[in-house]
Amino acid sequence: MITETISFASVNVGDKLPGKEVPITSALIVGGALASRDFTSVHHDKKVAQANGLPDVFMNILTSNGLMGSYVTNWTGPDATVKKIALKLGAPNLPGFVMTLVGEIKAKDDSTGIVDIEVIGENNVWGMHMAGTVQVQLPQ
Amino acid sequence: MVKDKAAIVGIGNTEFSKNSGRSELQLTCEAVRAALDDAGLKPSDVDGMTTFTMDSTDEIELARAVGIGDITFYSRVPHGGGAATGLIHQAVMAIASGMCETVVCYRGLNGRSGHRFSEGVSGNIITADAMHWGWYMPSGLMTPASWVAMYTQRYMHLAGEDKVKEALFEVAYTTRQHGATNPAAMFYDHPFDRAEYDAQKKIVGPLKLYDCCLESDGASAVIITRADKARACKHGGVAIKGVGQSAAKNMESMTSFYRDEIAAIPSMDVAAKEAYKQSGLTPDDIDAAVIYDAFTPIVLWQLESWGFADPLKSADFVLEGGLRLDGRLPTNTHGGQLSEAYIHGVNGIVEATRLVRGTSKNQPDKEINHALVTSGVGVPTGGALLGKMD
Amino acid sequence: MTPEETKAFEEKIHAFVGRENGPPKRGNDDVNEAMIRHWAEVMGDELGTYTDAEYAAGTGKGGLIAPPAMLQAWSMEGYPMAENPAQDIQRQLHNVFDAHGFTGVLGTNTSTEFFRDLKPGDQVTAHCIIDTISEQKATGRGIGYFIETLTTYTDQNGEEVGKQVFRVLKFIPADSNDAADSSTEDDSPSVPTRITSPRGHDNSWWWKACDEGKILIQRCTSCQTLRHPPRPMCGECQSIEWDSIESTLDGEVYSFTTLHYPKIPGYQYPNTVGVIQLSEGTRLVANIVDIDYETIKIGMKVKGSVEQVDEKTMLPVFRPE
Ligand SMILES: [Zn+2]
Repeated sequence: MITETISFASVNVGDKLPGKEVPITSALIVGGALASRDFTSVHHDKKVAQANGLPDVFMNILTSNGLMGSYVTNWTGPDATVKKIALKLGAPNLPGFVMTLVGEIKAKDDSTGIVDIEVIGENNVWGMHMAGTVQVQLPQ
Repeated sequence: MVKDKAAIVGIGNTEFSKNSGRSELQLTCEAVRAALDDAGLKPSDVDGMTTFTMDSTDEIELARAVGIGDITFYSRVPHGGGAATGLIHQAVMAIASGMCETVVCYRGLNGRSGHRFSEGVSGNIITADAMHWGWYMPSGLMTPASWVAMYTQRYMHLAGEDKVKEALFEVAYTTRQHGATNPAAMFYDHPFDRAEYDAQKKIVGPLKLYDCCLESDGASAVIITRADKARACKHGGVAIKGVGQSAAKNMESMTSFYRDEIAAIPSMDVAAKEAYKQSGLTPDDIDAAVIYDAFTPIVLWQLESWGFADPLKSADFVLEGGLRLDGRLPTNTHGGQLSEAYIHGVNGIVEATRLVRGTSKNQPDKEINHALVTSGVGVPTGGALLGKMD
Repeated sequence: MTPEETKAFEEKIHAFVGRENGPPKRGNDDVNEAMIRHWAEVMGDELGTYTDAEYAAGTGKGGLIAPPAMLQAWSMEGYPMAENPAQDIQRQLHNVFDAHGFTGVLGTNTSTEFFRDLKPGDQVTAHCIIDTISEQKATGRGIGYFIETLTTYTDQNGEEVGKQVFRVLKFIPADSNDAADSSTEDDSPSVPTRITSPRGHDNSWWWKACDEGKILIQRCTSCQTLRHPPRPMCGECQSIEWDSIESTLDGEVYSFTTLHYPKIPGYQYPNTVGVIQLSEGTRLVANIVDIDYETIKIGMKVKGSVEQVDEKTMLPVFRPE
């Protein structure tokens, strides 16, 4: 369990978060869809996904959001507060791919204690899956 | 010889956009009509046609749509943008040899909303040279920008990396400033500065987004007729002094990586020599230019081919402001294909004609007696020297 | 569509702007520990503030909270949507697009703001409106329109707890025919692989050797000149007789470049490709791997080997010596 929280004073613009590799499996895609209560067929039924032009079931947006969130809060620790997650969606994540998450601090607001972290998730086959910014308020 | 045998008497463009909303045939009809109006000629005056092999508009469909009558000459030029001044080359030969009197040269494409050239050969290609591309597709070297970048890296290595990079910016910058003051340009009213250039995404190697041309929908046409008939046209004529075309030795389409040295474009060297020989002109006689600019570095190499700079030295010429309106060789005064539109260089023939007429939106202060216009490089290519009629 | 048809269509779709997607939707489940834990397991959330009540009580949060990204999940419809997707206003809008050929749909952006942490017991209600529809755009996917929906989330006291903008592209698929073709020729699609060379009389021998791990160089048997890429006749002596030698794949970088964009399926980016000057004298275009592209120099010595680069493809790749 992660118990330390990163303080606002200890981070600087340009700091990079440790990268993380997320193996994309059918279990992750289907599990993420169910945990987010998203029963849209393309996220659990390969035949329907194929009828929609993709080779296999693909990750839903809520899971992408969730992975971006967990990537950041696992780094900040428990006493940070997420203010905003904004992301642009790219190529789908499919079983068998590996998505690499990287993050970099792009801005720091002294008056609010909020830092902007740019997060990019790229899979090894089709490239950019998601790119966005997580705004998180850190304790002083 | 072809010198002064034929002249450009009419020019026409459609608007340039990301989505024309109409067929390439219709775009071409509109550009041809505009060029005929500009010349003060009727469709029935036309008896010849030239275009690109890759153009989708059939000559006889166009003739029927525009109301052109009997045609006695039609010809197409291969190799994509390398065909641009090839349209003039074919037209002049046909007119000089008496095969026809008045030729319409045209190119129309939905290059943004339809097939996009930036995708290179990654799609299904069914051309006869598919096997040639097979040497490059497996490694992923399959976009025009990547082929050009391969030459650019070598060129920077020999000419000086920092200086060449500065020159690439200057090419992009000058061209964009010209486009920003040309109301027909897609980048009209959108100048940029160093910070915006640097902030763009990397495309390939040293090339960033604004080193690469636009993708656009539109059409351009020019009317070429016999010199003695040109004087009666509405705006008179702009004479064709010389026009060269060449595929130099040991050539591959875009991937001539096997020559002794690849930091140059021998095909343009040959075409330039031809055009100068035909016209009796020298680089000193050329007052302005429209240089094919699908990518910024290709402008540098062409300056060397046409004798405005020594081999590997064109960055100096450019960094001295040589391409600016008050420079030695005002270049791409319409904004080029980087900033006006990418109509495969035929919009450049339109602009070169305007420069000699004195009607460019960015007409330089000095008198333009002779202007150069070139075709796309990397492929077999060419260039034409235009000038005032004697 | 003619300009008139486009105008009529745009009037139809713009009539949807500002409309509520349906009545406010209260989540079937209040914020609860079980659903939070299911979420945290899948997403790899490692904070005790999500799953360990005792620990959470001692943190600044004062007790369990839900992972913020879960916000939308609380008011999702759940299992019924698998069989009978809701016929809400957004669906009706999409139907109008579908009927005019804009059958493609693609989520492009989502942006969520969180006004407070949610705790077990909170009740979330979603209020969704069709917020904006863009002008017609030419996109990489085809001609289309961006539709933005705005969802405001409120709690049991009617206070706003978050806000989400979701942007989708409805477009005319540019290559709908291609998709149909590929589904018939191969009913077990897999991870995309590299685009391979077509093979014909003059080059298939070279690619076959490559498949077997050898890079060959064609040699004129009359004048011994080496040539690559292969051609049927020797340009030096016009002989059509030839054999080949195997390259040692020792070489140096003659030129190189690194591709970032566009990203073609089956390739990894950035992708570095070099023109390699082989010690035998001919040149070969191939990938340079295992080196930061910013440190590659022209003239650098490299050594090649033939490797399997994906499920189907054998290719030469070069590494710095
Ligand atoms: Zn021989």
